Order: sequence, then structure tokens, then C-alpha cells
Amino acid sequence: MRVAMGILLLSLAAAGTAAAAADAPHAAAARSSPQGDTWASIAKLPDWSGVWDFDYSAAAPGGGLVRPAPPHLTPEYAAKYAAYKERQKHGEEQQTSTANCVPPGMPQIMAQPYPVEFLFTPGKVTVAIEAYSQMRRIFTDGRKHPEDPDPTFQGNSIGHWEGDTLVVDTVGFIPTSTIAPGVGHSDQMRITERIRKISDDVMEIRQTIVDPKVLTEPYVSVKHYKRHKDWDIEEYICSQNNHDSADPEGRAGFKIQE
Amino acid sequence: MKLSIRTGCALLTLALGATTAVAHHSTAMFDMQHTVNIKGTVTQFDWTNPHTFIYMEVPNAQGVQEKWGIEGMSPNYLNRNGWTRHTLKPGDKIEMTIHALKDGRKGGFCASVTFPDGKVMYNLPHRG
Repeated sequence: MRVAMGILLLSLAAAGTAAAAADAPHAAAARSSPQGDTWASIAKLPDWSGVWDFDYSAAAPGGGLVRPAPPHLTPEYAAKYAAYKERQKHGEEQQTSTANCVPPGMPQIMAQPYPVEFLFTPGKVTVAIEAYSQMRRIFTDGRKHPEDPDPTFQGNSIGHWEGDTLVVDTVGFIPTSTIAPGVGHSDQMRITERIRKISDDVMEIRQTIVDPKVLTEPYVSVKHYKRHKDWDIEEYICSQNNHDSADPEGRAGFKIQE
Repeated sequence: MKLSIRTGCALLTLALGATTAVAHHSTAMFDMQHTVNIKGTVTQFDWTNPHTFIYMEVPNAQGVQEKWGIEGMSPNYLNRNGWTRHTLKPGDKIEMTIHALKDGRKGGFCASVTFPDGKVMYNLPHRG
């Protein structure tokens, strides 16, 4: 899990600069692109059918598994991270509440070893996530974020199309979700995703996290997902038969018997 | 009980695979650096989320049957990798390679299953 989270949070410094620039509004592109606001408009959107499985091998430059450096933290959050690493030495923070079947929320929910599916309906892209049977709703009908959104696991997402790229802006997260293992976030966290196919069967999600209280620079990750046209999203009820647990200090539990 | 401990680069690969693919928890409680083989009889196979679970009766050195509980990958993962809910059934005689619990209890995480005819079914992601 820790490696998985780490890979998700791969910091590609060079890519970071490019992505930050690319995140500037492309109003002209957005105006001229089909926005999926009607069924006729949806027919002009790219073909994202099938389900898309997170590709670990592509997430690491050069392939293989790389444990990346943590994001660049403000002094306050660097101290919190140091304390977290210290607790790990004493058997704490080995496990998160996901072991108790609490979904991780954004951004971690987008880097699970299970597929996701993109569903287009007028004014909305819905992401069906197999892990924990989660769902994200990305409103593409031109609405703004609520003034004061309730904090939720997936946050409040609005999006628009720039050609074949879906640009998603998400705010309003539960306080317990993490940017990386041991790295929390503030109420100012904002996640931008640029989602596009880079080949017929590979989806790229370029994710930029900003949080002025936590990060000294945008934290960028690039994730690839492989298309499987013959798969379906399957049921995943975590509380069905869970033998694992985390106590409040993050010590790992394992129940052998029913 | 047949018990063997092996180490090596191949197993480290398995260990890394496990940490990437076990979604909902870390592998902190298992010894991911080593494997142990246990040989016995399947008593129950739970084809459930978030993990499959295999119960086995395994004879110890004195020939006394001991009950083991072994976690496996989810049915969602396994059914995309050749397993079905019928892959194991009570009464099956198998040898299982596991990452044992660090605390010494009779449990662990399944790496692979070897059937009497020599066929191997990998549970954790396997390269090669």
C-alpha cells in the first residue's frame, strides 16, 4: 500500500512546471470543444468506453517500482511528517483506516489496483471506481463550486472539455484524506486533473495538487490506466469479509478466525 | 508439516508486487521478505471482498492437525488472473507458499498454491 501510494505521488519535477502552465484556463479551446451538455454533444466526445486499470509499471519512469521522495512541504507539515515517520518506528502508522474499510477519498482513490469506468450523461461525467464501490461526479454543465462545500471523500468536482482532454477541478475534501502517506492537507487543497487518452488503450491522468498551507510547490503526478474492453466494474463490498484492521494509532491487526 | 523458508531476489519481487496490489491495507503484519510453505487440506475457501480467505488443516511435526487462516487477493483481482470461486474447495490437498504473520500465529498471505499434479496458481502478482 505504501509503495502504491508512493507511486501515485511520483513527483516529476520537470513535468510539474509544464503541467502548471497547462493548467491555465484555455477558454478558447473550451468554447470550441463539445461539452457533452446534450446527447448529441456526447456523441462528439472521445471514446472512453471499457474500463481502465491503473498501470503501476507506467507510473514509474523507466518502468519498475520506485519509491519517490515525499512532496515539498511547508515547515509545519514537514514537522508533522517527521513525527509520523518517528511513530512508524514504534509500530504505529503501519496501517490506515482503509484497513477498516473506510475509503481513502481523493486523491488516493484514483490510484487503487482496481479499474475505473467513465460514464457520460448530459452535463456530467461519472467515474465508477471499483475499489470500495466508490463514485465521483464531475459536473460539466458550467456550474461553479458551491461557495462553502461540505467536505466529502471525493470532493466537489467541476470539469470542462478542452478538445479531447477533460479538465477537472476539485475542492472540499474530508480532513482525513492524505496527499501522500503521512502528509495530510488543509481546507485549501485543490486538485486539478487533466484526463486524456495518449493512445487508443492508454489513459493519462495528470494530477496537480496545490495546498498553500502544506505544499511549497504544486505536487504533480502522472498516472496511466490501461483499457480493458472486455472487463466490467465488479462489486467490491469491503465490509463483506474483512480480516484486517487499524487501531487509532495505526497499528495493524489481522483476525484469523471468522 | 513440511516447512521451508526461502529467500532471494525472486521473492523480493513478489513482496514488492504485494505492496502494490493489496489495495485496502499495508502488508505490515506479514513477513514479505520470506516465504514459508505449508502443506495440508483445504477446509474452507471464502470468495469474498476485500480478500479471499483460505482455511487449511495442516499437520504439525507431531502429526497434530492445526488450523491455518490465509488471506489472498480479492476475487475481483483473481478472476481476472485465472482463478474462480471453484479453484479451491474443501478436501483439496495443496501446498501453499505464504508470507507468514510476523506475530507467529498460524496465518499469512497467500503467494501461490501448488496442486498435487504440480500445477501452480499464483495469487500475488507474479512476473515470468
